[in-house]
Amino acid sequence: MKRDRTLQLILTFPSAVAAMDMEDMARELGLPGRLIPIPTAITAGCGLAWKTEPEQREALERVLWEHDMPFEAFYTMLL
Amino acid sequence: MEYIHVDARGDACPIPVVKTRQAIATLPAEGGAVETLVDNEIAVQNLTKMADQKGYAVSTQQREADCWAVTLTVGASAAEAPAPLEQPAAPTGSGAVVVVSADHMGEGDERLGRTLLKAFLYALTQQDALPSAVLFYNGGAHLTCEGSDSLEDLRNLAEQGVEILTCGTCLNFYGLSEKLAVGGVTNMYDIVERQLNAARVVRP
Repeated sequence: MKRDRTLQLILTFPSAVAAMDMEDMARELGLPGRLIPIPTAITAGCGLAWKTEPEQREALERVLWEHDMPFEAFYTMLL
Repeated sequence: MEYIHVDARGDACPIPVVKTRQAIATLPAEGGAVETLVDNEIAVQNLTKMADQKGYAVSTQQREADCWAVTLTVGASAAEAPAPLEQPAAPTGSGAVVVVSADHMGEGDERLGRTLLKAFLYALTQQDALPSAVLFYNGGAHLTCEGSDSLEDLRNLAEQGVEILTCGTCLNFYGLSEKLAVGGVTNMYDIVERQLNAARVVRP
């Protein structure tokens, strides 16, 4: 069965703990998005990533800087 | 037509199903009916599910606030000849059954384990070949109830034809019977049969 794919913003982290901290912070602040296993298109390794809508990027970057959250990179991809 | 009465009020899952099956086994070759009294809706659902699986006609009547009469009508020969072993629901792809028996994945750190299980269920939604069913029991029952972070993924799987089933005894034990938010309720017979009949069983 073919799934409908939509453009998504993916944020990666330097560690699993940082990704889980992101989830806690997002819940606390009411930020949309969710934790997912890091897509294999980004890396074949294991890890966790934050997935949200592309238009959230600006708000997300601001929150990351304000809370001094460690992160690696943003990707936009079809998921 | 032979008519057997079974009183399973006060009996915990899966005893109402057990008593009903035993009564059906005593019906003559020309068939008959078994009326089972139960005191909770999960027992009604389990009996209805059993009837559907076996091809028996079923009707339910609520007689009091905490009393339901479930009547199963068994046709000729079905009473004597055991019904063929049920096949699992048509596989959506892989013919696998996934069993979630805890609210975390793997042993070690609990926070990590809960995160991993959520990631597992998300990754499951991304597969082209899906399992026929995902069974939830013991601590896994929390995943299908209100407040679970995985409801979106489980609803997604259900929409794609994957059966999402949670152990009724477990919902009752954790006080979650009224909080089930996705899929249906199942019993130990169904949990055993689905695993036995699965092409393979996947346990995260």
